[in-house]
Amino acid sequence: MSGLFAPSRRLGVLSLVCVLLAALPLATQAEYADVVINRQAEKNGMRPVVFPHWFHRIRFRCKVCHAELGFKMRAGSNTITMTDIIEGKFCGACHNNDIAWSPENCDLCHSGKPGLPTGVFGGHETSGPGRW
Amino acid sequence: MKISNRISVIVAGLVLALPVFAQQSGKDVYTKVCSTCHATGLAGAPRLGNGGDWAPRAARGVASLYQSALTGTPKGMPAKGGHMTLPDAEVKAAVDYMLGSVKDAVKAAKAEAEPKKEEAKKEEPKKAEARKEEPKKVEAKPAPAPVAAAPAAAPAPVASVAPTEVSAGDINSFNRLLKPASKRNLPPPEDGIHDPANDGTHALQPPLTAFGALPKSNAGNRVNWVEAIGQKKINPRYDRNDPKAEPIVMDLNIVREVKGSMPDVVYPHKQHTEWLDCSNCHPAIFVPQKGANAISMASILLGEKCGVCHGKVAFPVSECRNCHSKKKDIAKAPAPAAAAK
Repeated sequence: MSGLFAPSRRLGVLSLVCVLLAALPLATQAEYADVVINRQAEKNGMRPVVFPHWFHRIRFRCKVCHAELGFKMRAGSNTITMTDIIEGKFCGACHNNDIAWSPENCDLCHSGKPGLPTGVFGGHETSGPGRW
Repeated sequence: MKISNRISVIVAGLVLALPVFAQQSGKDVYTKVCSTCHATGLAGAPRLGNGGDWAPRAARGVASLYQSALTGTPKGMPAKGGHMTLPDAEVKAAVDYMLGSVKDAVKAAKAEAEPKKEEAKKEEPKKAEARKEEPKKVEAKPAPAPVAAAPAAAPAPVASVAPTEVSAGDINSFNRLLKPASKRNLPPPEDGIHDPANDGTHALQPPLTAFGALPKSNAGNRVNWVEAIGQKKINPRYDRNDPKAEPIVMDLNIVREVKGSMPDVVYPHKQHTEWLDCSNCHPAIFVPQKGANAISMASILLGEKCGVCHGKVAFPVSECRNCHSKKKDIAKAPAPAAAAK
């Protein structure tokens, strides 16, 4: 990883990414309760979605999404498609250019590192060794 | 006339000379100009004193940092922080000041980048301290390993250790699993799950910019969310469309006597119904009937019962006394404890 030269630098970055990916559950410093949603995204050539709970809970109580919008409280148990969102379901209930910005801003949601599995990050399962 | 002329010349001379004499220190410039973004990490700016923010940038050399500060970057750094009247020297002094705040981390990164870079400045003094700093250090680790591995016995432990312990530099350091302050609430480009190569990532709000005014806690987001609502620091909507909708709060405490020596658990419906609807918990997670729910810390840690939220999004189980909050009545303790489950 010898700096200065572009190719070797890129290689270095790439290897760093690889190391990070290999050690995924340990290496992340993800914000508590960030959720990676990747059941559909990468299959369809997009980056995984990162959902920040903290940002949304400042604006909405849990029940708005988890009771009314139908988000089940288990990571990976919701099949969320862009079609649904555009039709106003799930994220689209607010991300409709009315309550919040519209789903045309792809890269604000689809901002996760490629290869991340669906799941809750930053909590006790990903913040250190062991399953807890 | 002549005198006033002379005076004005002197004044003009003084004014011109002033910047030379009164050149602002890096700290002054930082406080007046740079801190707007570099204190909080606004728009992804590297924060003062945050090694993780600066290490990758410093690795490219001080000259390139000066360059970015003077001419701006496409990521959002305005040229001279938007204050085009600042002399170059003051801008550079501000960069030096900010770099000075993260000396150790920068050194760690340099140690990794090897002798390639010069920038003599603050290279050598203390390599040992730099050890416990950065995740970047880890990259350096694999290199020394093979060298040390020569005496044959070493490879096995090194190999088994390396994959499990990537985030802390030194396997035997104190509190190696404890996140230092510089690793908490990182801005999206550095949090390990957002892709820094994605433009949108840099547009996302860094958590710390939102958390500044909120009550603190020791775990999770490091924000006491219940207090935040209690103190009206935030007012999250109870209805998606109606900002004025009031939550239907139920004030009912459920006391659960627990085995062992831990204080009994008091479950407050109040704080929960501030956020949640009855149907979020009942009846799927908790049967709404006294004695019908067997709850153990093991099941919570496995993500059941309270663990559906606590440990993932609500405060984690490390905050024992938030729930185990009712001192046991010592005289009566044996009887109910036996009957509890």
